[in-house]
Amino acid sequence: MTDDSTNAGRRRFLVGSTSVVGAVGVVGAAVPFIGSWNPSAKARAAGAPVRIDISRLQVGEMLGPIPAWRGRPIFVIKRSEELLEALNEDPGRLTDPDSEEPEQPGYAQNEYRSRTPDLMVLIGLCPHLFCSPTPHIELRPQPFDEEWRGGFFCPCHGSRFDLAGRVYSGSPSSRNMEVPPYSFEGESVLVIGIDEETTA
Amino acid sequence: MSDSNNTNDTAKPGRFMSGLIGLRDWTDARLPIVKAWNTHMGQYYAPKNFNFWYFFGIISLVVLVIQLLTGIWLTMNYTPSAEAAFASVEYIMRDVEWGWLLRYMHSTGASAFFVVIYIHMFRGLMYGSYQKPRELIWVFGMAIYLVLMMEGFMGYVLPWGQLSYWGANVIVSLAGAIPVIGDDLLIWVRGDYLISGATLNRFFALHVVAMPIVLIALVVLHLLALHEVGSNNPDGIEIKKNKGPDGIPLDGVPFHPYYTMYHDLAGIVLFLFVFCAIVFFAPEMGGYFLEVSNFQEANSLKTPEHVPPVWYFTPFYSMLRAVTYPLFGIDAKFWGMLVMFGAIAVLFVLPWLDKSPVRSMRYKGWFSRGALMMFLMSFFVLGVLGTQGVSPAKTLMAQFMTVIYFAYFFAMPWYTRMEKTAQPPERVTGRFISIPQLLGSILLLILLVVLPLMLVSEKAEASEANLTLEHVETSFDDKGSLQRGFTTYMNYCSSCHELGYARFARTADDLEIPYELVVENLIFDDSLIGDLITNSMSKDHAEAWFGAAPPDLTLIGRVRTPDWLYTYLKSFYADESRQFGTNNKIFPNVGMPNVLHELQGDVICDAHGEEDASHCELSHVAGTGSLNEAEFDTVVAELVNFLYYIGEPIRSRRQEIGIWVLAFLGVLYILTALLGREFSKDYH
Ligand code: FES
Repeated sequence: MTDDSTNAGRRRFLVGSTSVVGAVGVVGAAVPFIGSWNPSAKARAAGAPVRIDISRLQVGEMLGPIPAWRGRPIFVIKRSEELLEALNEDPGRLTDPDSEEPEQPGYAQNEYRSRTPDLMVLIGLCPHLFCSPTPHIELRPQPFDEEWRGGFFCPCHGSRFDLAGRVYSGSPSSRNMEVPPYSFEGESVLVIGIDEETTA
Repeated sequence: MSDSNNTNDTAKPGRFMSGLIGLRDWTDARLPIVKAWNTHMGQYYAPKNFNFWYFFGIISLVVLVIQLLTGIWLTMNYTPSAEAAFASVEYIMRDVEWGWLLRYMHSTGASAFFVVIYIHMFRGLMYGSYQKPRELIWVFGMAIYLVLMMEGFMGYVLPWGQLSYWGANVIVSLAGAIPVIGDDLLIWVRGDYLISGATLNRFFALHVVAMPIVLIALVVLHLLALHEVGSNNPDGIEIKKNKGPDGIPLDGVPFHPYYTMYHDLAGIVLFLFVFCAIVFFAPEMGGYFLEVSNFQEANSLKTPEHVPPVWYFTPFYSMLRAVTYPLFGIDAKFWGMLVMFGAIAVLFVLPWLDKSPVRSMRYKGWFSRGALMMFLMSFFVLGVLGTQGVSPAKTLMAQFMTVIYFAYFFAMPWYTRMEKTAQPPERVTGRFISIPQLLGSILLLILLVVLPLMLVSEKAEASEANLTLEHVETSFDDKGSLQRGFTTYMNYCSSCHELGYARFARTADDLEIPYELVVENLIFDDSLIGDLITNSMSKDHAEAWFGAAPPDLTLIGRVRTPDWLYTYLKSFYADESRQFGTNNKIFPNVGMPNVLHELQGDVICDAHGEEDASHCELSHVAGTGSLNEAEFDTVVAELVNFLYYIGEPIRSRRQEIGIWVLAFLGVLYILTALLGREFSKDYH
């Protein structure tokens, strides 16, 4: 009888410990399979900060050809005084005029959504389902909006954004376009992907 | 297992369990899962006297799963095109997180598959598992083996290295040996006039889609047929003849849980231990699992010196080469191919060749035992010969062994009928041969294999063997050495030789160099830190200059040994007859200038008046270089250390991880072994 009970105890221990260790093994074996889905060194290299020469960008224009960061289009626009004034004429038409949702770095949470008022930097993707909106920079009526004040129009489902990437109410998108982390190297180089100003 | 949990726990898991049971019953009413489970696991009664040889069936299933999983994962990053395949494999090895492990598991798994299958087949030969009523099991098994060989062959082509290319070239060209239609067939198989991207792509499709489907189907058939007639056992008797009152064979034990949990689990863990030891510590397995020439990209204009097939094909490759006589006006090549395929085909008819009244070698006579021993000998000798070059003596030996191989099969109907057999027992028994007998047989087999090989071996195998290489230590931990080696490389080598599969960032991380330093001091063009270490030398320029484009050196540390690289870099000497005024002692007439000349200074090769410079004495002209000899040696040693590192950057971490994995499997093995011992008491 005593023999039986020690047996049961030993058995319970063996089954328990083998199951636990075996489960650890299964988890360990899964690590390489799961890990290999992470971005590879190549993808990470392509995701590194990009330097963009903005010395030739004219007032009232958008940089072309459109640069890319992590494979996503980056919109860089130099806004004129007139365009800047048009920005905050009628905040009531916007869903999030004060940029309260965290779609931008802290330094871009201001009335222009940018580090310096004139230069607008945006990830050129519509937050609705990630089509790339078409820029319509001029202040003139458009077929999709009689009172167009400059901005972006998404061809997929008709979301409208102003020249700070803020979405107009009544659009399929409920969020503003994203501002990437960026900084400047001197006067003419814009760096996408790095927050701090580099001193060099 | 669940039972013991159940009895001890309270109501809550009970409700959970009853929910599970409900789900099971619901499903079972619609799909006979309980019946299937009982037929194949819970009420499948296997003989209780399975021994060591019986582990390998289930282990082959484990390997199949490993191959399927790692294979699927490899396709996620592999690029099947002649232009990109080789680079994509290095991409997997370097840039994909854990990619190196997936790849080594797959390459080791391929060889493991054949080891396991060969042992499994030998088990069948030994215990007569192919005899009536198990003929179909054997035939399905042979079909599996055939498909596996095709899988192995086509899989080996995919990395698109030199051996992939030329191995495929040799084997596919066999199709051209078929009379009349051969030439057209050959072009059709390749889809081109030579092995090319078209061939690679069709092999990829077959390797990853078509063949695995066929393989899985055959495995299912193999198991269904097995479970229909029941397992054989070392005594070769039918356990179904002795049933208890409950209809269960007296010598049978339920496959689950007895074999699955208490017997095979420990065996599987032990197998995984060996498997992981190879994956983490010797993935190349001395060039047998991953061959050296396959670290060089396929080049359709240059055959490597030696094109040995992968080890699991070598016996058949030997037979192919052994046939050297044309017959009936048809090429010897054709007959060689027939012999090679015949050697596999004859396995299929084995069940009908064995006329013995008993199954197991235990009760067969001495003729059968001797024949099996001779068969093993021929298989091993042919296998070893297949890895070596040819010589008249070796060809003769291969011919002799080929005859023995076939004699084993063709004489079988005769010797199995002639010999005196013993009467097998009524009930299954335990160990049959004693340990000394076992050791004696193994020793005999070793002698039978080694003696013929010694007979035909040549004294000096290759001319390169008598070159003495200077030894150099490599160390991944000596970051200073690696950093200086990297610097030397970038300054002296990188303008001609790319490290086109390695990235600056990864190298900087491994060598513990801050990115800024790399960008400032080691990147000479506008490369970014995340880029591959390439140069801007155009291919055409390079060819005009050097005659051939300088090779990429990322993998040179795997193609050549550190000792070779070290000796090579030190063996340049002045030779006015050469284009760059230098020659090399261990790589005669190399098309590369001595780029380190300004450091090393002049070296003179004094052949003591002999023509052959390969034995000359090198002497350094003091004061001609910017470094003295000892300093120069250190620079070269550090450069070699770096090249060895960059050949496989993960090497040192792989071994670190390996120790943990093996320790873990060791613990798991002890637990499963104890568990098995404890619970199998219930069955004896
Ligand atoms: S994706 Fe832009 S509106 Fe839908």
